[in-house]
Amino acid sequence: MRKSLFLARANLRKAKGQTAAEIVLILLAAGMMNLWLLLSFDYKQNFDRWHQRLNAEHVTVCVENSKAAGESVLDQSAAIDDTREMKDEISKILEKDVRTSEFCMDDVMCAGGKIAYNGGEAASNFIMMKKEDAKKRLIGKVEFLEDGGFAEGVYLPMIYKTGDIEVGKPVELTIGNHKASYLVCGFFNSAMAGSHNCAMFEILMTDQAYRDLEGKGYAMGAVLVSVRISDKSESEEFENMLNHEISARYPGAFSVSNSYALVSQSRYISQMICSGVISAMAFFVLLIVLAVISSNIIHYIQENMRNLGVWKALGYQSRQLMGMLLLQFLGITFFASLLGVLLSWLLFPSVNEMMVSQTGIPYEIHILPAPLCATLVVLSGAVALTVWLSARRIRKIPPIDALRQGIQTHSFRRNHVPLDKTRLPLQPALSLKTTLSGMKYNITICVTMLVLSLILVFSGLMLENVIVDITPFLNLVVGETADVCININADAETEFLREMEKDSRVEKVYLYHAQKVGHAGGAELLASICDDFSQVNNKEVMIEGRFPEFDNEAAVAVKYAREHGYRIGDEIRLNFGEKEADYIISGFTQISNNLGKDCLLTRKGYERLGSLSTLSYYINLSKNTKAAGFNQETIRRLGETVNQAQNMSEVIYGVSVVYISLMKVIVAAVLFLSITIIAFVMYLLVRAMLASKKKEYGILKSLGFTTAQLMVQTALSFLPAVIGSTALGLVASCFVINPLTAVFLRNIGIVTCTFRIPVGFVIVSGFGLVLFAFAAACLMSLRIRKIVPRSLLAND
Amino acid sequence: MKKVIYKTENLSKSFSNGGTQQHVLKNIGLELYQGDFTVIMGASGAGKSTLLYALSGMDTPTLGTITFGGQVISDLNQDGLCVFRREHCGFVFQQIYLIDSMSVLDNVLCAGLLVNRDKKALLGRAKELFQAVDISEETQRKFPTQISGGEAQRVGIVRALINSPEILFADEPTGALNSKTGLDVLNTLTKFNQQGQSVVMVTHDMRSARRGSRILYLKDGAILGECNLGRYVHGDEKRHKKLSAFLAEMGW
Repeated sequence: MRKSLFLARANLRKAKGQTAAEIVLILLAAGMMNLWLLLSFDYKQNFDRWHQRLNAEHVTVCVENSKAAGESVLDQSAAIDDTREMKDEISKILEKDVRTSEFCMDDVMCAGGKIAYNGGEAASNFIMMKKEDAKKRLIGKVEFLEDGGFAEGVYLPMIYKTGDIEVGKPVELTIGNHKASYLVCGFFNSAMAGSHNCAMFEILMTDQAYRDLEGKGYAMGAVLVSVRISDKSESEEFENMLNHEISARYPGAFSVSNSYALVSQSRYISQMICSGVISAMAFFVLLIVLAVISSNIIHYIQENMRNLGVWKALGYQSRQLMGMLLLQFLGITFFASLLGVLLSWLLFPSVNEMMVSQTGIPYEIHILPAPLCATLVVLSGAVALTVWLSARRIRKIPPIDALRQGIQTHSFRRNHVPLDKTRLPLQPALSLKTTLSGMKYNITICVTMLVLSLILVFSGLMLENVIVDITPFLNLVVGETADVCININADAETEFLREMEKDSRVEKVYLYHAQKVGHAGGAELLASICDDFSQVNNKEVMIEGRFPEFDNEAAVAVKYAREHGYRIGDEIRLNFGEKEADYIISGFTQISNNLGKDCLLTRKGYERLGSLSTLSYYINLSKNTKAAGFNQETIRRLGETVNQAQNMSEVIYGVSVVYISLMKVIVAAVLFLSITIIAFVMYLLVRAMLASKKKEYGILKSLGFTTAQLMVQTALSFLPAVIGSTALGLVASCFVINPLTAVFLRNIGIVTCTFRIPVGFVIVSGFGLVLFAFAAACLMSLRIRKIVPRSLLAND
Repeated sequence: MKKVIYKTENLSKSFSNGGTQQHVLKNIGLELYQGDFTVIMGASGAGKSTLLYALSGMDTPTLGTITFGGQVISDLNQDGLCVFRREHCGFVFQQIYLIDSMSVLDNVLCAGLLVNRDKKALLGRAKELFQAVDISEETQRKFPTQISGGEAQRVGIVRALINSPEILFADEPTGALNSKTGLDVLNTLTKFNQQGQSVVMVTHDMRSARRGSRILYLKDGAILGECNLGRYVHGDEKRHKKLSAFLAEMGW
């Protein structure tokens, strides 16, 4: 061990530059791996910790209670009686189910609403509750993070503290159709209703503000049912059961619900995408590191054949010499990994801030030994295996042959590119000779460029489909989009459609209503209901089969269908309340609104289960029509029959800006890493090449080759591998990038990505990559200046 | 009257050695003539190789000037020296220094194509030179590690002559060879010199020095003496005796 340590130290001292470059590459791999582990493991656990700390619900249902009392709630006492009766009924359902651990019910108000967010709007179902009631809750507690102590106003979830919205400042909320301004009293956090990604969005109000809103009648009275169950993995089934039972008892009542399974994923979509990309990058960089280390070891053995022979002659055993290399590289790996972990911890607060602004759940940074250990073990293990596999050749070196250089360090069995026959000019011909006789360099370059090509295509994909124009991403993730969505009472449909037909600004109007239905024996599905699916703007959601056309057909989310073994043509039983109906699966869709638990039904198809009390119509407006003005005018014309009018582009912008900024950071980081990796890999390769060809360069200089000629010759020698692997990598990446991206997005229900591949960007950046590699190789080859023929001669 | 191809004035070369200056060449004034076989002799450390590197543009002098055909080469930068070497000089090394990764023929063409892009003419010249040094076509296809030392040095001479240089420098060309192959190399150099090739050779071997037409003796960085032997004739005892006397006078 001591002998190996001695040799390892001697080697490290001899190759300081190489060691430094290896440290940088390992540091990057370790940093990204640790960051990925921090994001993927503890972040999810952080939600569970918060969920536990707030004794949060596993299933939450908010049911409108005015319908329970019939069409009119004329006096307070009747309403109170109805609410009590509803609570009793729901209590019976919950008590009957053995899975129920504990539950509570609160009086709240409920309405569709909007709030300014990230320069756009966030739309969700607002659940308004008195602050004092919220404080008393034992299930689904809220934690106040800021409280200005104002007498009247609202408390908002922490995620909306975006700069424009601050304590002491007014905030404008759109509740139903009505705009209302409130003073922001503070911010709180709620695990299950603390963001627009939770299907419901809690707003706490001071007593006076609550009573004022109640008096205005902008929102409906509702009962908020909060349930904790014994096994949280059954939250979706439980939610389905509860909705089924409630809708059976109160068929016309509006309800909205969520489950632990939905919220724990939907609040972490950004984190999931980010950690997915970082994990892929970490493994790709590790792959490059391993290729570089393997190449360095092979090169080391070739160049130090005589020394190895001397050590063997002195009594060193093969295992000691291999141990020396193991110690050398493991030492570097351990040191660089620790630095990488440190770097990731330094970066983590910024990443954390970005993530928290998107999840809305605070995360306390703390030292995590598990990701650290995992990073060290994975990197050390991979490096040790690579060193051992690459250094096995040492065992086959007989000392005497090595001393006599009897073992050919270079194999020149073939004269590549004979100068008398080739038509190439001298410089390219000599470069090609070097290329063809240096396979170890080519392999390292190929691995590097293939990986970087994939990264480049991914960056291009995100640039084209998210940063420059987010429509393809939205089409994939959101599903259907239009300019405006107007929700009306069902009984006002004829009048509404008449008005729309008359309006020259309306280019297309079609029903696209979301309604939860149950899958018998399965989870709750978000049904998108349409009269005629040929009208929809985004037909790409249908990835197999066709849209439903008849009342006995349904299209089902592909992820859900695959999980349950459904094929096109199979029957699926859906229910709503007490009604059940079988539907033939006409096709598979891909919408991630409900994380892949979706289906499409025709209106007639849905009416086999129930009737719609409100209807959401999507509207395409003519080019110069402003959605906000159109909405205001429609509300004015149609009055109270309009429940909500949404400017969809504002809502989409508010949500998409989060993804755009995330992608900008990811793409910038990825490009920076690519440039760093090329620079360091080129440094290592050129350095190794110069070391092994120092004598050759000296001879060539003595023959009259200039430094510039040799630099270009060296850089050119890498070009065939660089160009070949980049071209191959880019073409192959164009084919695999969509399936690969689908893997990252599988948790939100995406199984097939159809992102546009920016061919122009790919070609231009491919050229850029090649030019950068060439420039980097030229720059690194500047060391040739230091090779002077005199030193070649003086060596003797 | 012989044509001067090289002229040096006050040529000096110093090396810094642990803070002290070591003066290897001291104010050398020298003329080299076309067609001569100039031999530079001297004891180890006399500065003969340093003089050769400076003359051939492998190294730059610390002081003084070197003029080649009217061009002051001591003022050239490294790239200028590269161009000078490729266009005017040939160099034969003691350690031969063929490029292992290239075939014998490629080693020669690699130097030739740098100056002459007419590949056909170049191949003709290479064939002629290979024939002259008795290197077969089969050997030309081999790699340097597959041929003998003598063959390799003869290939080195072909490489040095491929561009028909005005002057051929040889630094101890037989130093790494046995006596038989060393003799072959000397015969080759002599043959080319007798065909008009100017040669400057550094040696400390008297047998090699005998081939020279002009002997320069260096001691402590300065030219101590000079001896003109005239054209080499095999078995000319008078030349031999004259050289022996000169070297004895120089303290050899």
